[in-house]
Amino acid sequence: MAQQRALPQSKETLLQSYNKRLKDDVKSIMDNFTEIIKTAKIEDETQVSRATQGEQDNYEMHVRAANIVRAGESLMKLVSDLKQFLILNDFPSVNEAIDQRNQQLRALQEECDRKLIALRDEVSIDLYELEEEYYSSSSSPGEASGRPLCEAYWGLDLDTDSADGRSAPVLASPEPSAGPLQAAAPAHSHASGPGPTEHA
Amino acid sequence: MATYSLANERLRALEDIEREIGAILQNAGTVILELSKEKTNERLLDRQAAAFTASVQHVEAELSGQIRYLTQVATGQPHEGSSYSSRKDCQMALKRVDYARLKLSDVARTCEQMLEN
Repeated sequence: MAQQRALPQSKETLLQSYNKRLKDDVKSIMDNFTEIIKTAKIEDETQVSRATQGEQDNYEMHVRAANIVRAGESLMKLVSDLKQFLILNDFPSVNEAIDQRNQQLRALQEECDRKLIALRDEVSIDLYELEEEYYSSSSSPGEASGRPLCEAYWGLDLDTDSADGRSAPVLASPEPSAGPLQAAAPAHSHASGPGPTEHA
Repeated sequence: MATYSLANERLRALEDIEREIGAILQNAGTVILELSKEKTNERLLDRQAAAFTASVQHVEAELSGQIRYLTQVATGQPHEGSSYSSRKDCQMALKRVDYARLKLSDVARTCEQMLEN
């Protein structure tokens, strides 16, 4: 058996109490069971009448059976306490469980990042094609002003947000107060679609 | 007995012991019931009594082993390890994926609107 470490008094006392409970309960079960079997034997000579002896034996068996059940329940409680102690204090298995969980989470994180990188590579190809289409298109909203695609996209987003329910985004009608979009206002009346209202 | 087995194995062993305790009481009841009959089946009686004794000894041995193992590994200190950092990293990765999905859906919606126009 491995050398015993110096446990705190409370833990050592607790484990000793577990041992004691185990020994007591097992002894109780075995003794009471043995006594029931002995009591089942019918004696020829009894000190009291047979009926009285029978009643006494009946009562004794009931009590001993209840003792066996109580000892069994006490053993179940002991097992429950051991489970709790194990979960809290079995450091090797807790460490192993933590390592396993860390590995699972790290694997999931790496897979997410790997898929994002693959997605980035695919989307960059598509975006390149979209940009080419945008800059080479004759009806491009940014053509006359020479706006880059990102500005046109964000301008589109701002206009969509301020539309207040209008179905189509107003591509070429920035508000007069909008700084970078101001120069685009007079040149895009033909592409204003459903009718902008912010022209000054 | 493996010193560094998973907690699940030991907990499963304790659950088996719980079932065995139930079986012990069942066997004891069967033996006493058989004794109460006028014509006892001796073979059944012997078998049940032997099973009862073997189960009690097995439960005692197993629980003693578990207590001995706990005496060896328990330190009295609380365990302060956690998987919080890797859980947080994983959460951030999932947030990145969500964000990318959101932005892609925005681009898709914008493209559809452009096509409708």
